[in-house]
Amino acid sequence: MIELAQAASTGEAVFFWILAPIALGGAVGLILARSAVHAALMLAITMMCLAVFYIMQAAPFLGFVQIMVYTGAIMMLFLFVLMLFGRDSKDSMFETLRGQRFFAICLGIGLAALLSAGLARAVSGMTMAPEAPWATGAQSNVEAIAEALFSTYLFPFEVVSGVLTVAAVGALMFAHVAKKGGHRGQKEHSRERFAPGVYPGPRPGPGVFATSDSTATPALRPDGSIEPASLSEYVPPRQLTAAETAPKHTEGREG
Amino acid sequence: MNEAQGLQIDWAGLAPMIIVFAAAFGGLLVEATVPRARRLPVQVALAVAALAAAFIAVVLNSGKNAAAFAIEGTGLGSVVLDGPGLFLQGTLAILAIVAVLLLAERRTTRGGDFVAEAAVVADSAADRAQQREDGATEIFPLTLFAVGGMMMFVTAGDLLTMFVALEMLSLPLYLLCGLAKRRRLISQEAALKYFLLGAFASAFYVYGMAMLYGFAGTVDLAGINRAGVSSGQPRMFLYLGVAMIAVALLFKAAAVPFHMWTPDVYTGAPTPVTALMAACVKVAAFGGLLRVFNVGLASSAWDWHLILTIIAVATMIGGAIFAVTQRNIKRLLAYSSIANAGYLLVGVIALGDAVGQTMFYLAAYGFTVIAAFAVVSLVRDGDEEATHLARWAGLGKKSPATAVVFTVLMLALAGLPFTSGFTAKFSLFAAALQADELGLVIVGVVSSAILAFPYLKVVVLLWLNEPAPDAPTVNLPSPMAGTVVAAGVAATILLGVAPGPLLDIVDQASVFLNT
Repeated sequence: MIELAQAASTGEAVFFWILAPIALGGAVGLILARSAVHAALMLAITMMCLAVFYIMQAAPFLGFVQIMVYTGAIMMLFLFVLMLFGRDSKDSMFETLRGQRFFAICLGIGLAALLSAGLARAVSGMTMAPEAPWATGAQSNVEAIAEALFSTYLFPFEVVSGVLTVAAVGALMFAHVAKKGGHRGQKEHSRERFAPGVYPGPRPGPGVFATSDSTATPALRPDGSIEPASLSEYVPPRQLTAAETAPKHTEGREG
Repeated sequence: MNEAQGLQIDWAGLAPMIIVFAAAFGGLLVEATVPRARRLPVQVALAVAALAAAFIAVVLNSGKNAAAFAIEGTGLGSVVLDGPGLFLQGTLAILAIVAVLLLAERRTTRGGDFVAEAAVVADSAADRAQQREDGATEIFPLTLFAVGGMMMFVTAGDLLTMFVALEMLSLPLYLLCGLAKRRRLISQEAALKYFLLGAFASAFYVYGMAMLYGFAGTVDLAGINRAGVSSGQPRMFLYLGVAMIAVALLFKAAAVPFHMWTPDVYTGAPTPVTALMAACVKVAAFGGLLRVFNVGLASSAWDWHLILTIIAVATMIGGAIFAVTQRNIKRLLAYSSIANAGYLLVGVIALGDAVGQTMFYLAAYGFTVIAAFAVVSLVRDGDEEATHLARWAGLGKKSPATAVVFTVLMLALAGLPFTSGFTAKFSLFAAALQADELGLVIVGVVSSAILAFPYLKVVVLLWLNEPAPDAPTVNLPSPMAGTVVAAGVAATILLGVAPGPLLDIVDQASVFLNT
């Protein structure tokens, strides 16, 4: 710890001790936040702090890409998706397995303690790496990244395109329902309406010439018989009782 | 710029992977251009041709022992073409051809085992309407992507390349798991479970990679091996890194205690996908484990030997004991694949002495298990698979041919002589004995004996029990699934009776570059 603290400049140390608690707080807040929007914003805070760390570590390219891609593009996409699903949606606090959350918290804290204890011990004995050429200004940061990307890691870099393609295909497969039968425009509807054997006029509304205006009551023809076209296919036809078929005295006269 | 720096690329060596990836992208174009009715034959032909071409390219590369990328003669670690890598690539190509044929099966159930449109809400009216439709053909490009990722995984010479390969092989599999046509909610649950746990495992991998970089100053496996002797950094970084990376790789390999997903995913996924996972993913995962531990961590073997031994013992015993209690044939095969992961771990722990035998085991097990799942997909109650073991009673009286085939496969999995299961287990345990792993071998033999019990129980059930009056029907397979079963059984018997030629090949191909 001492060695590292000495190696870092004062400005770096000050920035680190200011930003590190914020980054950590953002990460903890991400887990504790009930609302998904709050969690996403917490994540954005952590990402920005990390970006500053990268820039402090003489990796400006990585730092700015972090801001543009993660806090810019990905987090905004994330928020868009949250808005689509409704920003009021909250985590369900219902436990399907009894005591699961308690054990998960215990084990999680245990793993974190184990890792940080190990890391604390390891970091105290760590030796500094010699300064990289881009940190001293001998080679630009972007050039060094390009060299690694297009020589050693050329093949994995190309394969990442496959990973992204699969992600897009997967999203499409699980989210997109193809429209069956194609789109029917005005022309098709019109042709259909005037096809032979089809009555082209408007259909009678429910309750026409009837004693009740319920949708379940069929329209009556002038001769008193039921007009079948006025029956809804979704509402079951109602058998009217004698009391219902009796005149309702809607004319305003007694008798 | 690259030429000026003298970057030499071994295109012939990369050809198998490039062919498979190119065919995968081509398959997506087929989806976009070819009419729906004609897609299936085009996709199957494309996939099989690409995998066959990849296999031929692998064979033409045999004997190669160098990095695929080099600057002025110095190999860069990202893709390493050596004996084990090429052998496993070839095995993957062949197993993938068999798996693709099983994916293409359309006769045992109308339209196949895959849902036409995964986006339609499960069990809705629209879902019932699409039951009779042909399954989605995007599964073939997705499978090719996964197989390409696996071929890259077994030849990855540094941790970063290996991580990209890990994602490439996992992502299509998460999707494929959720595409079952019947019992879709269980299938979707399996996909989600596999995805979440897999993403978790990937996070562990990246964390471990950072630790190992802190220790060695490089992600190159050979560099990490050198650092194991000479690094001045605290060894705690190495311990943390090995632990994290091992968690991720053992998750893919389904070792206890990282096996929780296996039975659920194996049961929920469409059976052809389960076959693909049981055969090909196992080959890829153990190819990666072999390379990481042989090339990258051999110099620190003392540090991880004990914990890996404990995991191997837990996997062998746990898998076998849980297998005994299973009532569902797919769950039984899932737990047996866990136990088999334990035997393969013995080969990983034995390091250089057992690399060849571990690869032989992978090939033998892959063929047997693919054929076993193919038979499972033939036995049906109406449209659904009859997976409950009780439903299989007396199958030998109704359809003797299927029962004979399944008996052979069960005996091979139980490790009886004259089957590939016996030769594979025998040579693996013999190699482990040479590496002074007597304790592990004893546990392995005990576990095999326990594991033989559920298999033999199935055989007894097939032949000695009376069939129920409403016994499930054995559907006649199309040439597709027929080929799968025939190839699996032929390989099982051939590798059991005459394992010599393949053992010679793995013997010659058992030395990693940079060890």
